[in-house]
Amino acid sequence: MSARSLSMPAALSAHVAPNALPIAVAVIIAIFALTEPAFLSTDNLVGIARQVAIIGIMAVCMTFVIMTGGVDLSVGPVLALAGLAAFYSLDAGFSLPVVILAGLSVGAVVGLANGMIVAFLQLPPIIVTLAMLSMVRGTALIVGGPEQHLIRNEPAYSFIGTGSMFGLPVSVYIFAAVAVIMILVQWRTPLGLLVAAIGDNERAARLSGHRTRFTKTLVYVICGLGAALAGIIQSSQVHTALATYGPFGTELDVIAAVVLGGTSIMGGNGSIARTLLGVFFLGILNNGMNILNVPIDIQLIAKGAIIVAALAIAARRG
Amino acid sequence: MASFFRISAIVNMRSASAALALFFAATIVFFCVSAPRFATASTVENLMSGFSFVAILAMGQAFPILVRGIDLSIGAIVGLVGMIVFDLSLIGQLPGYLILPLALLAGALAGAVNGVLVVHLRLQPFIATLATLAAYRGLTYAISGRQLVPGLTTTPIRDPWLTGIETYFDVGGWLGLSRLVNMPWVPLSFVIMLAVFVVLQVLLTSTRFGRDIYATGGNHEAARLAGIRVNNVIIAAYALAGLCAAIAALIMVARFTTATEALGAGMELTAIAAAVIGGVSLAGGVGAMFGPALGAFLLGAILIGLTLQGVPQFVQQIITGAILLAAVGYDRLLSVRRQRRLTAASTAAT
Repeated sequence: MSARSLSMPAALSAHVAPNALPIAVAVIIAIFALTEPAFLSTDNLVGIARQVAIIGIMAVCMTFVIMTGGVDLSVGPVLALAGLAAFYSLDAGFSLPVVILAGLSVGAVVGLANGMIVAFLQLPPIIVTLAMLSMVRGTALIVGGPEQHLIRNEPAYSFIGTGSMFGLPVSVYIFAAVAVIMILVQWRTPLGLLVAAIGDNERAARLSGHRTRFTKTLVYVICGLGAALAGIIQSSQVHTALATYGPFGTELDVIAAVVLGGTSIMGGNGSIARTLLGVFFLGILNNGMNILNVPIDIQLIAKGAIIVAALAIAARRG
Repeated sequence: MASFFRISAIVNMRSASAALALFFAATIVFFCVSAPRFATASTVENLMSGFSFVAILAMGQAFPILVRGIDLSIGAIVGLVGMIVFDLSLIGQLPGYLILPLALLAGALAGAVNGVLVVHLRLQPFIATLATLAAYRGLTYAISGRQLVPGLTTTPIRDPWLTGIETYFDVGGWLGLSRLVNMPWVPLSFVIMLAVFVVLQVLLTSTRFGRDIYATGGNHEAARLAGIRVNNVIIAAYALAGLCAAIAALIMVARFTTATEALGAGMELTAIAAAVIGGVSLAGGVGAMFGPALGAFLLGAILIGLTLQGVPQFVQQIITGAILLAAVGYDRLLSVRRQRRLTAASTAAT
């Protein structure tokens, strides 16, 4: 079809659809900035970055999983269990690196289990990670019980979530570091290519001699590590470890951010850089609606409608 | 050859159902032996009254899965329909016989919206229903009569048409069996579940719509080329899931004589679990109503049994997850075997 024969809607979809998300981010920033000047204050912008760090880290780390055609519903309880693991190792008097390692190992183990079951037994990821959600939550509740565990007098650990350097919270630096590393992994390493190849056509990737099972396992481990890191940051931020952190719905927020970024839930297409855009889109939306005192019910409806609209426009591209 | 394939598919489905029934029986026997007070009328009564609506949700969930989709919003639809009933009954003062059809209609409509998003906006079912999960839950808060008229929060729903759903029948007494053994009373919700089961099963196996569902789930493109209006079939599948969610909501509202904004939260995952345990394949086109219904009661029996054994609730969560894993693992095993047999048959034929 030549450019001239494009009808109005077709032209719209050809030019607008690929850039729908950046445009949408710009539009909502403009709307919030015009209606509430406080939105653009430095404090608020830093606040947004701090608020999205936890979901953002998980979304960045889940992008590869979704690109391979999978999904990880178990990130919520992994977040809680990692916080508990950190608390108990702090309690036992271990040094900070060991504490962080203990938290991260929770994510690695759960991710490894998810990945091996999905890759080697070839069971559907949505069911596997749903089962894991139930099992990890149960484990977290057995380990931590229903009560809150206060993390007191641990300045080094608290620094992760509440400290700041050069005017920015430490958690934002961690988020940025994770994002940069993952973007480099996607662009500069074979893993990035392989993940896309598996999502496009797993059989073809395997027949061309790639170790697809190993790669699939690895992406779930990365996802688990991201959830664990988020758990460490959260427990440090609120000085508490609790077995019910990362409640039901956390995983859906994370998936929504990834998918808003244009990663196809069927696998193949996807970009970590665009996931960041999805994260900030949802974060700005939440923040702006809170500033404008939009009631929670309208917020939920708006969130659903906006996700549908953004993806429907993106679907026109195909 | 074609008939051979069909027969082997049916035999496979039968054997999967038989295996599930056998596993259910084994579970019951295990708890009867090991759990104190499991083999009593009250356990059966708890199972029937506490899990009939889960079975209805699971059967509804089977339809989107059969057409290769999924519906994450049914828990939110339960909440929405529950709040509509609350509003119509307590604020609108409408009679129950009007509320019942309106509630069912609302559920079916909410489901149909999911179908329209999937078909016409070409959204992935997982994402479309994830978005409506948020939207329906938000709508529930928006129309919440508890917040519009705060005085109503403690007012129970008393309409006999609505609360009548929570009725128990002394079937054992009528049959005269109660003189011999202590018989459980049968809740109306269980009877409703049976009715839903019969209607949906007949719909699936004996009507053109049922054939269209299997054809669409088995091979979307082939079904379309065969002249099946796949778009309408898919929308109808989601509408049925919404309708089942509305029935479940009515049962729950009758039980609690009220509705909260959080009614049904997270229930979609239980329903998906029951459907998958019941042999409904996420790849589409495989499954029936018996499996999801029994799957729900299997989950229920295990939860009740473990509770009576004194197993803490947290451990129960772990065991439930393990069972779900085992069920998909078993399903996978069956399909691998099916594949092997088909390959063997086709090589033998050539």
